Amino acid sequence: MEREVAIIGYAQTPYEEDADASREILVLRAAREALASAGLSRDDIGTVITANNDYLDGRTISNMRLVEPSGACLKDESKVEMDGAYAALYALMRLLSGFHDVAMVIGESQASVYPTYAPGVMTLDPTWDRQRGLLNEVSAAALQARSYMNTYGISEEQIAAVAAKNLGNAVKNPLALRAVPGATVEQVMGSRMLCSPIREMCAWPATDGACAIVLAAGDVARKANRAAWIRGVGFYHDSYLTERPLDKMTSLKMAADKCYAMAGIEHPEVEIDLAEISELFAHEELMAYEALGFCAEGKGGEFIDSGATRMDGILPVNPSGGVLAANAVCAAGLARLAEAAMQITGEAGDHQVKGVKTALAHGQTGLCAQENIVYVLGGE
Amino acid sequence: MRDVAVVGVGLSKHVSKRRDVNIPELVWEGVSAAYEDAGITPRDLDGIITGNMPAFEGVNLPELWGAGHWGAYNKPVLRITTGGTTGGSVGHGAFYAVASGLMDTVIAIAFEKQSDGDSTAGLNTVAVADMAPFLSYGIDPAFMLAFGGGAVGVAVYQASSYMKRSGCTPHHLDKVSVLCRTNAAKNPAAHLKQPGLTPEEVARTALMQYPLRFGHVCPASDGACAMILTTAEKAKKLTDKPAFIRSVASCSEEGALVGIAAAGTANTDPCAQEGCKVAAANAYRKAGIKEPRQEIDLAEPYAPFAHQLLMFYERLLLCDEGEAPSILDSGSMELDGALPVCPSGGVISTNAIGASALERIAEAALQIMGKAGEHQVEKDVHKAVAHGWGGAVNLNVVAVLADTPTPRG
Amino acid sequence: MKSGEGLKNVKRMSVPFAPVFNWSVGNWMEQFFDGLKQKKILASKCAACGRVYLPPRMICERCFDKTEEWVELPETGTVETYTMAHVGVADNGELEDLPEPQIIAMVKHDGADTCMAVRVDAQDCNVGLRVKAVWNAEPDGVLDALSAYRALD
Ligand SMILES: [Zn+2]
Repeated sequence: MEREVAIIGYAQTPYEEDADASREILVLRAAREALASAGLSRDDIGTVITANNDYLDGRTISNMRLVEPSGACLKDESKVEMDGAYAALYALMRLLSGFHDVAMVIGESQASVYPTYAPGVMTLDPTWDRQRGLLNEVSAAALQARSYMNTYGISEEQIAAVAAKNLGNAVKNPLALRAVPGATVEQVMGSRMLCSPIREMCAWPATDGACAIVLAAGDVARKANRAAWIRGVGFYHDSYLTERPLDKMTSLKMAADKCYAMAGIEHPEVEIDLAEISELFAHEELMAYEALGFCAEGKGGEFIDSGATRMDGILPVNPSGGVLAANAVCAAGLARLAEAAMQITGEAGDHQVKGVKTALAHGQTGLCAQENIVYVLGGE
Repeated sequence: MRDVAVVGVGLSKHVSKRRDVNIPELVWEGVSAAYEDAGITPRDLDGIITGNMPAFEGVNLPELWGAGHWGAYNKPVLRITTGGTTGGSVGHGAFYAVASGLMDTVIAIAFEKQSDGDSTAGLNTVAVADMAPFLSYGIDPAFMLAFGGGAVGVAVYQASSYMKRSGCTPHHLDKVSVLCRTNAAKNPAAHLKQPGLTPEEVARTALMQYPLRFGHVCPASDGACAMILTTAEKAKKLTDKPAFIRSVASCSEEGALVGIAAAGTANTDPCAQEGCKVAAANAYRKAGIKEPRQEIDLAEPYAPFAHQLLMFYERLLLCDEGEAPSILDSGSMELDGALPVCPSGGVISTNAIGASALERIAEAALQIMGKAGEHQVEKDVHKAVAHGWGGAVNLNVVAVLADTPTPRG
Repeated sequence: MKSGEGLKNVKRMSVPFAPVFNWSVGNWMEQFFDGLKQKKILASKCAACGRVYLPPRMICERCFDKTEEWVELPETGTVETYTMAHVGVADNGELEDLPEPQIIAMVKHDGADTCMAVRVDAQDCNVGLRVKAVWNAEPDGVLDALSAYRALD
């Protein structure tokens, strides 16, 4: 990369079902706290990128009212209408260009203010799928899960194991919305069936929340209180969901390959110490293990069975509880980035994993994870 | 920082209603023209930066459905949307993608298919969250209904304020419309083309709300714009005469309608547009331009309303405040003038909202490359400024283009 | 009164909002719809790579060429993947229980390279199941003309 860039500050609001505050207030809280954690003031910020979606915010140009709470007033501000991990990408581009040295990145969504599943339906081809009323986020995810299970012989229990692990991990994350002490596979298998094989506990919970990170380049980063350095990034777009094989995450694999090449990672399964993955539905985490090269193609089920991705495993995945524990949509992937950074700086608190030197963070946008972005972060 | 060059521009035709194509197909027209202009195919591409006005057509993240029509197969895609400034923000995003070193060749794609939309949806999603302050302004919701989001309601206050401060008269507004619509007549991509239009004819159009008449206001268009950006090295292989984007800068102010008291900075005086001045000053500085008034050869301000062409000419630091009306009178803004303004016909002639601010950058690039055709200005264009405006009167984006890269050292 | 109390009501200010969009379907989809009216399944084919799109697309995303060729496909196809849906998305954008669970499948028509999401009227389903389109006797417009399939004997 042209310059070295690090995450030097971060903050997340508590994730709630119905936050007792407007989204502007959530953004203000996250932005202030992230600035404070970076030891900077608003004057130090050169550029601000927010991630939000007009359908999720119930208003057009939803960034324009975040100028004040995000600290962007009279600054170079822009908005990425995707997952927050892409807002971080745009901020990274701005720092790498040399035009800016410090960036504030914020993602927010408030499920309590929008019809939860309407924005997903509104991404469908309006000339056909959208008018036929069959596809939505849950049914599309179910079609993907079944396709993956069928191709590779994955069991429903193996998918449920992802949810049990992540919801159990969430108990140690005070910000998580959905935490299930001692969650078991049986408990997940007993939860309500939405669209087979997707059960309630295998699907993301509607969430209010915001996440902010501060990115810095060069000297500012070197002098910072803490730094989780961005070693690599990759992102790709996949075809529309009826025009691609659903049993694999092609764009995630491409993104990972690109990211690893940039970060100089040849054996992700040994070189990466921890991963925070955006698993909107439990099976996506298994598919991601494969696409990210943590295990061989088709071996995602065996990999979770091995215990490798538990908190005490060789490659813990989602010690925060992941997206199954909280999904403030446009903040979800950005929160993965913040969590990965926290693990590297040793500030993850009760869900800290020991000795994390290299961590991976993943974000996604679109039904059946159509678009994926991967980061690798490193310590000193 | 790496130098960034524009090597291809593509525009669809812009009209009120394109019923023969869907959104991805309409956008393809601009996109394929850009690939052709640059002499590349999607295979040569490292990524796509795209955006449109969210929420107007009722399709969320339309690239998920449609980007296959634009060359996105197995490519990275980044969606940037900022309302009226969207096209400019997309252009800025494409600039940063190349300048960052993360990508070499990218396509910026911005579009709007307003005829697919529902003006009621526009009204509700734009205005309802701000409805109380809007009403406290006395803005008639009927205007918001008719013109997609209340922009005209705010614009009349801005126009009155600007006229008071600058001495701009209604006659100047008529002349701005003539300047733009007659230029548009020479631009095959433009929507409202009115060759031979006279100020008297504009003055006879119906008054919407003082001081703006129908003749002073943009149409609602269906259209798309695409632009291919690459590194200076790769540009050399593609064209003898690229246009370099020397710098981009944006500036966001507090919204015009903050709280019930409507006390946002952009609103203290809606024609102040301090953000535009800040963005312009930053962009000129980063572009190595010390004297914009002497150095800038051409301007494409974002002016969906007639007074804004003059107002933003001033806020882009091209003259003192209050001077623009007399500069208009001098003929300097014409195609054969000293500093031509909106040779494309501007937003007042063509407004596919999400695309409009990218079209300002595209026009500046075409003029520098000498590829503007019938609306190519008479003078040689070495340096040009392109602008976008939107949000709650509070967002401004500025790009500076030139026929050479930013001087170093 | 605790600070912030009452905000929930503000946040939930409901707005009369019933947008009607006027999406142009484009010439490719229009030909497809015209075909459905005559019980013909028309797909577009890329001359360069031979990929067959159903529903048709103007551009082959792999070649970036226009798909100028049209092919009529049989009524039969194969289930690529399926789900038994117990919930759907209601008009208010929230999940609602369906009156009866229904099978939704991605079906690849014989001769097509892309899938369509359709309803399969059967007791159960499996990947690889051969299915056949059931034409609605009186379809409620072309959009649901091809929505229900049945297992092929
Ligand atoms: Zn092809």
